[in-house]
Amino acid sequence: MKRFTKMAYKDPDEMVFGRAKYPTSQRWNTQIGAGYVVPEIKVAPVEGSEESKEQMVSECRNITQSACERAVSIGLPAFMLEQEHIFQQTNNPGWTADCTQAQAEILERYHDEYDIRVSLMATPADIRIEERHPGLRGSDYDNKVMESIEASAANGASCVSIETMGGKSVSDYGIARGDPKAILFGIGVLGSIDMEYMWKRIVDVCKKYDCRPAGDTDCAQANTAMFMAGGLLDKDCSHTLAALTRAIAGARSLVAVECGAIGPLKDCGYENPIIKSISGVPICMEGKNAVCAHSDLMGNLTASVCDVWSNESVYHRQEMGGTTPEVWLQATGYEAALMNTAHQTGQEKTLRDLYTLTDKYRDPQALVLAYDNAHRIGEAIVKYGKNPYLRSRAAALEAGAIINEAVDAKKMYLTRFERDSLDSALKIFEELPTDSEQFIDECLRKYSRKIAEFDPKSYEL
Amino acid sequence: MKYEELEDRMDQNLVHVRYNVEIEGPAIKPEEDDDVISILPTKEPFKSIALAVLYEDRDASLNNVQKALNDGISPIEIINDGLMKGMDAVNVLYTKGFYFLPDLMLAGDGMMEGVKECEKVLGHKSETKGTAVSFVAEGDPHDIGKNLVVMFLRAGGYEAIDMGRDVPTTEVVKAVKEYKPILLTGTALMTTTMTVFPKVVAALQKEGLEVPAIGCGGGAVRKDFVESFPMSVYGVEAYHAPRLADAIVKDHKTWKDIRKEYTNIVGEFVSEYS
Ligand code: B12
Repeated sequence: MKRFTKMAYKDPDEMVFGRAKYPTSQRWNTQIGAGYVVPEIKVAPVEGSEESKEQMVSECRNITQSACERAVSIGLPAFMLEQEHIFQQTNNPGWTADCTQAQAEILERYHDEYDIRVSLMATPADIRIEERHPGLRGSDYDNKVMESIEASAANGASCVSIETMGGKSVSDYGIARGDPKAILFGIGVLGSIDMEYMWKRIVDVCKKYDCRPAGDTDCAQANTAMFMAGGLLDKDCSHTLAALTRAIAGARSLVAVECGAIGPLKDCGYENPIIKSISGVPICMEGKNAVCAHSDLMGNLTASVCDVWSNESVYHRQEMGGTTPEVWLQATGYEAALMNTAHQTGQEKTLRDLYTLTDKYRDPQALVLAYDNAHRIGEAIVKYGKNPYLRSRAAALEAGAIINEAVDAKKMYLTRFERDSLDSALKIFEELPTDSEQFIDECLRKYSRKIAEFDPKSYEL
Repeated sequence: MKYEELEDRMDQNLVHVRYNVEIEGPAIKPEEDDDVISILPTKEPFKSIALAVLYEDRDASLNNVQKALNDGISPIEIINDGLMKGMDAVNVLYTKGFYFLPDLMLAGDGMMEGVKECEKVLGHKSETKGTAVSFVAEGDPHDIGKNLVVMFLRAGGYEAIDMGRDVPTTEVVKAVKEYKPILLTGTALMTTTMTVFPKVVAALQKEGLEVPAIGCGGGAVRKDFVESFPMSVYGVEAYHAPRLADAIVKDHKTWKDIRKEYTNIVGEFVSEYS
């Protein structure tokens, strides 16, 4: 497996939305990262649709039809539909096949009729359960995930992605207790190991079809930290620790690309700008137009280097302006139009910088993802590119340095809790062994005792 | 204009304000907070035992408890007048915004360690205020909210049976039969898994089982949905769980009362659509 030891982007100023070093092309004449931003729409199936395959297929058909209608009625040149599968779809690959086929048919019809560029990202659910025998590898659930990936690829998905959750048992423990070592081990080491296991197989499946292996996201871990960190007044997870967690996630989610994923990387991977700076693959991002799904502290900043702009997810229902697939595609569609106008008029770097500056100092989690800082974290990662543990640790230390510099420059302000947890995390990271084996041994001893769900066998450790 | 130049021109305060920094009061020592003072025991060895919990010091907690047990102090008293008081103080500081979730978790670990020592001497499990059962809906892997609920229930003096995530409805029914909980809590984060709650209720009814209340919470769950079937109450914040349990145990409230009196019971305003 190749490991990144060099940056795709030498200069962060080269990074901008709508353009990636290595654009990807998909069926239905769609390119991602090729000079224009593609809006994305994603809608969660309505309650009750999980009862039967027929209901789920009909639900998927309705969502797709609504999105297509609105896209042409407001004149969108391109859009991407993502479907995140629920448990029942992945557990029954027959459902995946029929749902994907129904969606692909409608998209193709619109592509044929209007020449609109369309894309279908299918995201089977990672339904594996670590604490249930035989763990993450080789279980029925594991097989079902792979069968669902194949059913998506075979039935018309333009690309597939997944939110894998290896290492989550340990990182959850670390996030709830503010234990930086558990976070580093859970994401940087265990997450990276599990991704390699999953992604080698996903890439092989995709090769058999006209379907691209897109990417992963550290939703299970870094977004858990981000959601627990919550808003400015929440008290569950330190925002500085969440920022370091995000940097570590950059080193982890990169593994998909190292295994052959080509993007666009999945929308909820807030770490994606780091990976774009390293690998040059196009990325989906979400922010202010995903307020229907969750709140974050960087609604504009996340747009600055995106290639696909997403609403993340929304209930399927009626709003005053139409059904949610219509309404929220319209929201992402107009934002993409702004970015595309910036490109056409040569103003893209100005808009990128404005997006960035609105949020850069709103929160430390935003700060480390500003494209210049994401690039710095990328450089720290490739310096130790061959070793998942060392590069994750380097990412965290670099993120800490970025925050500290901004504090010294009186641009970033921290609370005592944020200050103290940053200092203590950085101290712990600095004192960790520089030998990967030694680190893993220590963690295995400590965490397999403390965390009942953690099963080292799931990682062949 | 270059990025750095743009940046230096900005008056950040007109773009965003870090209110968490703005409102931060002076640093205080946890044991100097007025409410904490009124909770903490003044007599030894209980004072040191409570303080070790307050300071999240697992080893000290264990040492203090062992020493007190060796001195012949009753394990029940150690739990109720020492360990639990420390945890009550931790809860107060969390509610006031001085302590954060990691503080709660670590203090909770310290407390549980002490309780286990006491139980060794007791020869059986210590008395709790009651037993609750917590699960994540079948088909749903999101368990962070449920973990918080379990943690808060335990910190509030309840035995919480943690059934994990993606729990088949039949298992939930079995657990209700076995533990006869005073409160059942369910968590679902997906539109398509919150539909499990009415199924749980139906399955319980089919077996002729009843619980005082089923607290249903989690990201996707809506109040109107939860109130469309019986036995259930909509749960908003994880730290509300022990307060709901208290209302059931102390004031004999039922799910019908809790629906009407939620705001009073949890002691804070909760908006209709939270
Ligand atoms: C982290 C996360 C994950 C992680 C979960 C990790 C974990 N250990 O739980 C992972 C990566 C595994 C995951 C997977 C998926 N996820 Co997810 N995930 C989230 C995310 C980002 C945060 C959820 C969270 O932990 N919140 C924090 C906790 C603390 O909140 P909470 O559980 O709601 O609990 C609070 C209250 O509700 C309350 N509470 C809860 N229960 C109770 C009970 C009582 C009695 C009381 C009083 C209170 C109470 O207490 C807490 C506050 O104090 C949400 C986004 C969001 N907006 O919520 C999506 C989200 C829930 N996921 C979603 C989806 C679709 C999925 C997937 C299906 C995607 C896919 N195809 O891969 C898969 C599931 C796969 C499967 N097996 O079926 C959607 C659901 C959409 C919907 N409405 O149906 C969401 C909303 C994201 C989105 N907008 O698209 N996810």
